[in-house]
Amino acid sequence: MKRFWILFRTELLAWRRDPITALGGIIPPSLILIAFSLLFGGRLSFNIAVVNHDAGHYGDILRDTFNEVISPLNDVPYYSVLDMAESEALAAYQSHEVDGVWVIPADFSARIESADNPKITMYFSNYIDDRAKNHRIYSSEILWAFYERIGMPEPPLGVEEEYPLPVMIDWVPIIAVGIALLSASLGSIFNMYALTYKEQISGVTLEFGLAPRSLFWVWTPKILLATIFGLISSTAFLVVVKLWLGFWPGRFLIAAWVLLGLVCLFWIGLAVVIGMHSRNYMAGALAVVLGAIIIFFIGGGMGLVRFHSEEVLKIAWLFPNTHAIDPLRDLILFHTWPIDWSRTLLTLISFAALSLTIGISMSSRGVRRSG
Amino acid sequence: MMRRFLLLLLNEVKLLSTTLPIHFIALFQPALMFSLMAFVLISPTFDINVARSGIPEQKYLVTMMEQVGSPVGDAYMRPIQVEWEQGDPIPRGQIVWIDTSSGKTTVTQTFGLIDSNMVKNFRNRLTSAALLLWQKSLGSAAIEVEQVPQLPRDVSYRVYFGLAMIPLAAFIGASFVGAFLTAQEFEFKTITEYQLAPVSWGMILSTRLLRLCITGIISGIILGLFLYLFDRALPSSLLFALLVLFAMGLIGACVGTGMALLLRSTLPAFVTTLTSAFFFWIMGGAFGLPAGFGGAYEAVSRWMPNTYAVKTLYSLYYGVGEVELGSALVNLFIFASIGCLGVMLIYIRVMLRRGEGEQ
Repeated sequence: MKRFWILFRTELLAWRRDPITALGGIIPPSLILIAFSLLFGGRLSFNIAVVNHDAGHYGDILRDTFNEVISPLNDVPYYSVLDMAESEALAAYQSHEVDGVWVIPADFSARIESADNPKITMYFSNYIDDRAKNHRIYSSEILWAFYERIGMPEPPLGVEEEYPLPVMIDWVPIIAVGIALLSASLGSIFNMYALTYKEQISGVTLEFGLAPRSLFWVWTPKILLATIFGLISSTAFLVVVKLWLGFWPGRFLIAAWVLLGLVCLFWIGLAVVIGMHSRNYMAGALAVVLGAIIIFFIGGGMGLVRFHSEEVLKIAWLFPNTHAIDPLRDLILFHTWPIDWSRTLLTLISFAALSLTIGISMSSRGVRRSG
Repeated sequence: MMRRFLLLLLNEVKLLSTTLPIHFIALFQPALMFSLMAFVLISPTFDINVARSGIPEQKYLVTMMEQVGSPVGDAYMRPIQVEWEQGDPIPRGQIVWIDTSSGKTTVTQTFGLIDSNMVKNFRNRLTSAALLLWQKSLGSAAIEVEQVPQLPRDVSYRVYFGLAMIPLAAFIGASFVGAFLTAQEFEFKTITEYQLAPVSWGMILSTRLLRLCITGIISGIILGLFLYLFDRALPSSLLFALLVLFAMGLIGACVGTGMALLLRSTLPAFVTTLTSAFFFWIMGGAFGLPAGFGGAYEAVSRWMPNTYAVKTLYSLYYGVGEVELGSALVNLFIFASIGCLGVMLIYIRVMLRRGEGEQ
């Protein structure tokens, strides 16, 4: 045990020399969170121009309706409307300063009153099919609300909604939990590399290879420290999330740590294989780090997995992040115990055990063979 | 002079053989990321669960659901009829059912999730289907929304996403390799050879930047080829596209080399270049033209080189916005010039002063 603490202390001091790498689980995720918050956390209304030529009053009512129809996403109107002259509006539309233009013709009110096929023209950009889709289906919301306001005959089918909870969670907190998991993964990976890099460039691996004792004493402090730093990174990141977005696991913190820690152990297992093989050391480091980032994107980092499991790529299920992400969201965002807690725990333990077993045995063999 | 430059460049290219795995990852990782993400990018077509019942309105609703979509693209809903009763678990987060209990026929959307983005998406689609029924019942009193899309067909998200990743690929290819090679010069002390070399520092630095730039261009071309394979999308002018790759490669080369000169260690240089690569990408129009998002995002995006690279590529791939093409390219090269100036100053400060001190 004394030997363990000596090695543990030595490894701990390595961080002082390389603080940027030690913060590898905090710096990139924090900037990614800032970027996503600016992208999806602001007013997500579509900027459109409305050109109202209507001689009657229905054009004004329609214009007002835009401000009253609220999207559940961020609780803002679907459209942010600018009043412009037609030529100005179309010029702004061509240069993408506005995403669409609605033109209300002069006879709009007259045609409504005489039930003579009233018409509006909607110009919109469709360079991305998803944005074009939003224009089309948002226009339905506007029209529905407009019909209600002007007292059109009742619809054949009324529409109602039921939710399991009185509050909804916005997109940025959902992404933030994905980034917290990325933070744990990157924190553990970077710190494992920080703890093995010195050995690589100083040739200390040869000494490890010749050591008369079990290599268990070499790996254990490194794995423990990398896990601790993965957890510290993700916890520090969660503090940022708490201060910024107001979400914190609270009494579920330990459960969240368990999930995050098991994911860290999986990535450490991968990192340790490469960390002790000098030949392709940096290429391996690069591959593992970029791999973790890819898994963030394809493994539910940006949206719930549970309700879209069929759309998740098969390869993403080969990584623990995809299994851990929704249970983590349950704990952090909803403060509820995940319904699939036991299954998730067993899955993550299996991933971690497999990765560490393969990682340690392969790297031990490699070090013993070649130093 | 030119011969020396070419010899130095040749030496830089020879370095490739010692770092093949690094090059392989830097060149192909963005293409791999694009290929995987291409399958998970949001699709306009959503599966909507509808509780099976004998009520006639349900049949009409399902028919309307099938009609909601783009006239020049995909359907927006795939109604799936399931056996479901109130109180049963909600399949896949959402179910639609017809309620006649109050004497009035309503369609109720019951959610099992509270993700506001998904709720919005499900709600809008159902409203669109129910509105179609309403429009039919109104007859000639119904308001027609005449749709005038900008392009003749709705373009798959993958095309935009891919073209916005091309500048990232060029940046990653140049910056990661640049950071790695330069930091290793310090770690293995080979930096002294450059300090003692009887050629100007400008020549040494420019060959390094040029060679990294070529790596970045190749990485961007590889991603462009993947985009072509997926969607048959090609830029209208290869020359302009290469200029974008050259500028982004140069910016990446400056960032990677500059960080490594400052930090002198591979891992920290990697952390910082990685962070800048992904921050520039997300903030530089990764998910849509910044003008479409407005607010703080658009304001910050003006300071990102990727924004101008994406604007230029957007014009080249979509054949629209040619007016802005020139100014976007000029802005991009201003960024590249600032990058070159920055790395030159760092080089002089780190290499020459360090060399003087050691001598």
